[in-house]
Amino acid sequence: MIAGAWLCLLAPLAGALLITLCGTRISRATAGWLSTASVFVAFAGAVWSFFGLRSHGSEHGAYSTAWTWLQSGSFHAGLQVLVDPLSTMMMLIVSGVGGLIVLYSIGYMHGDPEERRYFAYMSLFVFSMLLLVESGNLLLLLAGWGLVGLSSYLLIGFWHERPTAVAAAKKAFIMNAFGDATMALAFFVLIAHTNSLAFTTDFNVHLSSTATNLVALGLLGGAAAKSAQIPLHTWLPDAMEGPTPVSALIHAATMVTAGVYLIARTHPLFEHARTVELVAAGMGALTLLVAGLVALVQTDIKRVIAYSTMSQIGYMFLGAGLGAYANGMFHLMTHAFFKALLFMAAGVVIHHLGGEQDIRKMPGVRTALPWTRWAFLVGALALVGVPPFSGFFSKDSIIAAALHAHWYGVILWVVALLGAFLTGLYTFRLYFVVFARDEAVTGPGPGHGSDGHHGEGPWTMLLPVGVLSVLAVVGGWIQFAPIWTPLTRWLEPVARTLGVAEPTSWQEGVSSALAVALGLAGIGVAYALYGSRSRAVPRLEALQRALEHKLYFDELYDAIFARPAQGLALLLRDGFEGPWFVSTPAELGEDTLVIARGVRRIQTGLLRTYVLFLGTGMAVVAIVFLVVK
Amino acid sequence: MAGPSIAWYLGVSAFLFATGALGVLIRRNPLIVLLSLEIMLNGANLALIAFSRHARNGAGQIFALAVMAVAASEVCVGLGLVVAIHRRRLALDVDRLSELRG
Repeated sequence: MIAGAWLCLLAPLAGALLITLCGTRISRATAGWLSTASVFVAFAGAVWSFFGLRSHGSEHGAYSTAWTWLQSGSFHAGLQVLVDPLSTMMMLIVSGVGGLIVLYSIGYMHGDPEERRYFAYMSLFVFSMLLLVESGNLLLLLAGWGLVGLSSYLLIGFWHERPTAVAAAKKAFIMNAFGDATMALAFFVLIAHTNSLAFTTDFNVHLSSTATNLVALGLLGGAAAKSAQIPLHTWLPDAMEGPTPVSALIHAATMVTAGVYLIARTHPLFEHARTVELVAAGMGALTLLVAGLVALVQTDIKRVIAYSTMSQIGYMFLGAGLGAYANGMFHLMTHAFFKALLFMAAGVVIHHLGGEQDIRKMPGVRTALPWTRWAFLVGALALVGVPPFSGFFSKDSIIAAALHAHWYGVILWVVALLGAFLTGLYTFRLYFVVFARDEAVTGPGPGHGSDGHHGEGPWTMLLPVGVLSVLAVVGGWIQFAPIWTPLTRWLEPVARTLGVAEPTSWQEGVSSALAVALGLAGIGVAYALYGSRSRAVPRLEALQRALEHKLYFDELYDAIFARPAQGLALLLRDGFEGPWFVSTPAELGEDTLVIARGVRRIQTGLLRTYVLFLGTGMAVVAIVFLVVK
Repeated sequence: MAGPSIAWYLGVSAFLFATGALGVLIRRNPLIVLLSLEIMLNGANLALIAFSRHARNGAGQIFALAVMAVAASEVCVGLGLVVAIHRRRLALDVDRLSELRG
């Protein structure tokens, strides 16, 4: 089982190195297949460790240390992997969904001049993500955390000839670096107090409540930045500049959910800092609401899905923050299935239209892409949480958990239900606008040459979409709280759900019924407004403008951080660097020249002046000598 | 001890040195300048020997011998320079030889 974990971790790294080192000696297709194979080998390793752990019993997690690479006094950290229920679950999701998406990329990226680089990055990303979820201590986790940030940066900016892509990559990197910094600070505090970065540290004994809160806040900062939660969320919509499979893999299925994994992994600490944990839950609730609202007015197909990703991660934060870790992880898993599916279906549409992403300019998609339409519909229904699709099982258990948690929980419960309504509305707005237009032009519209249309694409694209469609339907059936909870029991040794987050049966029932009803109501409203065209879309000018500007978060950050920083930089350049560091050396040189010009006059070249100076000097020395004596 | 007191010797020495120094300062012919330098050195020599005798110590005389050796070599170099200047048909005038470039 340990060998499986190592295989899982190292296979994608080997794939990335091989593609990088072989360079142009392998064909572009070979690079794609190599990358796919490496990720599927990783999946095989994950399955191996899963079954190994199953046969041992899920409470028998095991560490394996390759070597200790950092030792300072009694503090030491090693290249250490951990196989336990939580990490095997993440390994399966990352390598499984990752493998499907890399396979999909072979079709999607076909013909791109830099395919090899793309696949090397993809393998690197999968390796980094596996390092993050498999690491046996917080230091290695931080290393994986930074590496996924790096690969995300590289892949968002993959089309580096587009200035917007480069800007988006930088934005994502900087936002993530902020999170990395707060996490690193939290680790410093942790090392100072407990002298350890192991997951098993007893936080209660070694940490004061202030220190615990500080550490938890630092970790929450990292989690919020990586998972695009308010207030560190602005990078995710922009990250849609990357290729669509990248959005599916990194910005929907795996990397952005790392924050939820982090909270589940370090939950003993968060439980000692209960306030911070509740802040995380509140942050999730705020994000799911705001992202749902903003998603209503976006016109870029990928941005709508990106906002829905933020919103769903908000649900996961809500669940994990309240202590329902298993529910959060469950939603993480089903979300990985249906969100990757939605992105890849959107990718088929974009591929078919030769790069068009504006949902108002997608004529004839319904007839040209019948299978994609069904796949998208499956993903959308799973996202809204209509039974028996997977989202129903995972999302409703989170909403029910909120109802059980006192008055604060009830507020969150209401927000989560509102979110369910919004989810139905924005998801089916997207669906109806893209796929259900009856006035769709039958032939290619003007400006669209028929050669620009690809149809549904090669089998490498359709197979992953098909597999994920099936998973999006059945993925939720492994748990139906409170009757059938194998996943919660599987995760129990690592992340036991808190008592306050275990709803009773009637709470489950009420929440589920309300969530489904509101979701269906959202779909109904979306149908009335966008599907049947029987009603005009209500317009509130001010609200719409605010939402189209994403509630002015970018403008706000620009005014608070970017502009003062630029002003200060300009001030320092003109007031400090300019006079002190730029012109000073030049002035020194000029002044030296001026002085030298004056001194040069003494050097007459006349013997007698030299002798005179010599004699005068001697006379002065003699007089001084006499006087002093 | 017979003979005039040391002050006389030092007086003559100072007179010789001053004469030589004046010659170096005001004459323009390099030959005369060299000659004046010799007079300065000999003035110094005289003082050294006078002190040597006054202190009943041979060290001053050794110094004087060293100074004579230096003077001889200096004259060699100096006269060599004068010949070189003459050969290049330059003016034998130290004021006009004020630059290192020939």
